[in-house]
Amino acid sequence: MTFSDDRPTMIEFKDVHKYYGDYHALRGINGTIKAGEFFSLLGPSGCGKTTLLRTIAGFEDISSGVIMIDGKDMAGVAANVRPTNMVFQSYAIFPHMSVAENVGFGLRKDPRSKEEKARAVAEALEMVGLKGYGNRAAHALSGGQRQRVALARALILKPKVLLLDEPLSALDKKMREHMQVELIKLQRQVGITFILVTHDQEEALVMSDRIAVMFEGEIAQLADPETLYRRPATKKVADFIGTMNFVPAEILSETGNAVEVDAKGLGRVMLDIAQAPAKAGESPVVGLRPETLTLLYDDQKPSERETDGVIDEVIYFGDMTYYDVYLGGTDVEVRLSMRNVPGRPVLDVGEKVRVAWSPSALVLFR
Amino acid sequence: MAATPSSEARAGLKLISPTAIYVILLLAVPLATVLVYSVMTGGRGIVSLPLTIDNYAQLWSKSVYGYIMFKSLMVALTVTFITVILAYPVAYFVSFHVKPDRKSLWLFLITIPFWTSYIIRVSLWFVILGYDGVLDKTLMGLGIMNTQLNFSSYGIPAIIFVLAHAYAPFAVLPIFVSLEKVDRSLLEAGQDLGESRWITFLRVTLPLSMPGVIAAALIVFIPTVGDYVTPKLVGDGKEPMIANFIETQLLKLQNFPQGSAFAVASMLMVGIVSVAFVLLNRRFIGGQK
Repeated sequence: MTFSDDRPTMIEFKDVHKYYGDYHALRGINGTIKAGEFFSLLGPSGCGKTTLLRTIAGFEDISSGVIMIDGKDMAGVAANVRPTNMVFQSYAIFPHMSVAENVGFGLRKDPRSKEEKARAVAEALEMVGLKGYGNRAAHALSGGQRQRVALARALILKPKVLLLDEPLSALDKKMREHMQVELIKLQRQVGITFILVTHDQEEALVMSDRIAVMFEGEIAQLADPETLYRRPATKKVADFIGTMNFVPAEILSETGNAVEVDAKGLGRVMLDIAQAPAKAGESPVVGLRPETLTLLYDDQKPSERETDGVIDEVIYFGDMTYYDVYLGGTDVEVRLSMRNVPGRPVLDVGEKVRVAWSPSALVLFR
Repeated sequence: MAATPSSEARAGLKLISPTAIYVILLLAVPLATVLVYSVMTGGRGIVSLPLTIDNYAQLWSKSVYGYIMFKSLMVALTVTFITVILAYPVAYFVSFHVKPDRKSLWLFLITIPFWTSYIIRVSLWFVILGYDGVLDKTLMGLGIMNTQLNFSSYGIPAIIFVLAHAYAPFAVLPIFVSLEKVDRSLLEAGQDLGESRWITFLRVTLPLSMPGVIAAALIVFIPTVGDYVTPKLVGDGKEPMIANFIETQLLKLQNFPQGSAFAVASMLMVGIVSVAFVLLNRRFIGGQK
């Protein structure tokens, strides 16, 4: 899953700042995006992810810093000459043009003949699954079709970078999941660098080679989806991506590559330094994902590490059941998820249970 | 429940009846009268049977009618053209470059000329453009001219000038509304796809604002082609337009059938031009929404 590091750099940010008057929208963005990568900018609304995307496109100036695209400094380069194309959140389909006219909009200065351009438009439409839609009026299209037109319109220009500004947010859930897969396939097919802005962590995890998680104008963590999920760098990232239980802990000792902590309800545990990202000035807690905790049924063998608990809440999802469990007679409550398989009854509130867990699944935030 | 639609319709009729009566008495009846008069035999102050199409034949054979019609259409079209060309940048500026919270103030300022009666505004132009008026005094004072220019006596140019000023605010508003409706991300899309601001304007903004431009053209064209006051007051009244000519026919010569026939013919002419505008408009609107 990790994206090969030997790919050439396509975009590089060097200490990028953006101010809107007094408002500090981008606070020192650094990082690189590799050629051919499916890269996501993930964060809550107002975190600066769209602003960052728009600075790449050239719709926003930056207050200081450098943005390089394919080795060239983009300072003073207007949006219409940048090697980027954008799929807008609203799709920005020209309502007074047909589908083919929309897709061919950027070909005006293309030296090819009219017939060749028409063929290119037809091919672009076929690529996004809209073969034969060329003569339709753009305003008569559904949301999903509009998005495909926007994609074809951008990709026909063979940009070095395709920018996608929350392209799936206007679609219903089924269509969104379908388009996620289509976009991944399309990206593999054309090999262009895709940069996706999204606030949907699931979408980012599904689609991206690497993800930059942004909070308040800064990149909190830039990593591949698995690292981001299993080894979040801060408590905030952990909280934003998926569900994470936080258990108060005390750091007992720190020697070389190991940190010993005493986690409330779990007891003493040795953590590898990889499980303890750099200090962020928070009161120490250990994080556990719900799926790394398991309920042990009576006939199951004791686990290496297990803790007694009492069920406080049962949330039944059909294929899964979520249990909120108080750990080891403390007030620490964790949520754990169990797959509902035959021979594994759904337990009741108040039942005493044994919870098995693995030290390697823990992350320490401090 | 079954009775609801008809009782609703009855309530609706009751609601509109005062307006309907008003419109029938003051619009439909006079219009019908004009239509009937136009096919009757006339003498000075007399309207009588038999029915005839002589009045219309007269319009065709006497060149003065055609000339007046043509001149009025040309003046109105020129005024429309100038007004729309001048109004577009104003509307564009207010829509694209004025902060959203200031837009209503700007529109308010644009409508200030409406606070003054149209007739008074036209008369004031006479003060400015007339013999030894403000313009002449300024030009002579600056030594640019040594005799009075007396622009208001220039006939058609003076009429066009005054009409274009009077109708400019009418043109700004519909164009402004259509520009407001242009999704701003479309302009970014145009630039993103490689076009400069100017080409993006030509390929995206202008076509999308055409419904407003055509609405503005209609709003200016229809009243100007039938304008009575300006040709009367400006240009020393030497360049009568349709309305002035009808007045002469009906009130001075008291040839009711002939004047009516001319009025009906003018209505037809304006109707045809307006329909052409509307069809143009539909072409642009057809591509949207």
